[in-house]
Amino acid sequence: MQFNITVIGQALIATLDGDLDLHTCPQFKDALTKALDTNSNVKNLVFDVQNLTFIDSSGLGVILGRYRAVQARGGKLFFVKASPHMQRVLKLAGMHRISEFVDSTTEVLNRA
Amino acid sequence: MKNWIELVFPGTSINVSFARAVVAHFAAQLDITLDELEDIKVAVSEAVSNCVVHGYREKEGNVVIRASYEESRLEIIVEDFGHGIPDIEVAQETGYTTLPEERMGLGLTFMREYMDELHIYSEVEVGTKVVMVKQIPARQAG
Ligand SMILES: Nc1ncnc2c1ncn2[C@@H]1O[C@H](COP(=O)(O)OP(=O)(O)O)[C@@H](O)[C@H]1O
Ligand SMILES: [Mg+2]
Repeated sequence: MQFNITVIGQALIATLDGDLDLHTCPQFKDALTKALDTNSNVKNLVFDVQNLTFIDSSGLGVILGRYRAVQARGGKLFFVKASPHMQRVLKLAGMHRISEFVDSTTEVLNRA
Repeated sequence: MKNWIELVFPGTSINVSFARAVVAHFAAQLDITLDELEDIKVAVSEAVSNCVVHGYREKEGNVVIRASYEESRLEIIVEDFGHGIPDIEVAQETGYTTLPEERMGLGLTFMREYMDELHIYSEVEVGTKVVMVKQIPARQAG
């Protein structure tokens, strides 16, 4: 799995490529935690999942955990180009209620 | 037609993706949809992750997967010889986890949701076996 994390203003944008599972989670979790620690102004988490080929509850746990960290700052959770399968997994996890599904990253950035 | 595979590997996180890929390839011998393959991958990933994280918590051991099909019935058995589950009823509650700091307690819920049947057999300090069944109906060509 490969990922890229960028901070633009109050948004952290994480682009995922490959499978996010038990094995690949720790590095992603560490990178997100580090980015949030060094950018205390970040409120919104934007996950570009267009090229995410797999996710299970281990991966969702990492995302939910980081969301809890920004929730206190009034932050929101966005998923860019989530497949129907991804949306179904998020729904099963009850995370659709706290998530917004969008078509592009710019859509989120333009709003702020 | 009848077919089966058996897979034995050390219960480590690096083998989780390998395990779900192999079972998905095997299941692809059936007249299966991409959605059904996704379901199977999630279920196998959750089951094997549980063996690694819970069964072999601070312990080492092998995971055994037996997958088979006959007609439209696909059966996947994932077994470890680790710590076991003291209360299977409680473990199956959505959101229940013995590792609340790091996990969501959704694995068994996902397995139940993505497969048609889920049976759990476990004995403390002997091991855990999950049996998952999915019906893959034959589709009309076209
Ligand atoms: N193979 C296993 N060996 C030992 N305990 C298990 C196993 N599978 C599940 N459990 C127990 O059942 C609980 C719920 O499992 P699950 O729904 O997958 O949630 P999670 O993995 O997030 O904890 C686990 O926290 C664990 O206590
Ligand atoms: Mg689990």
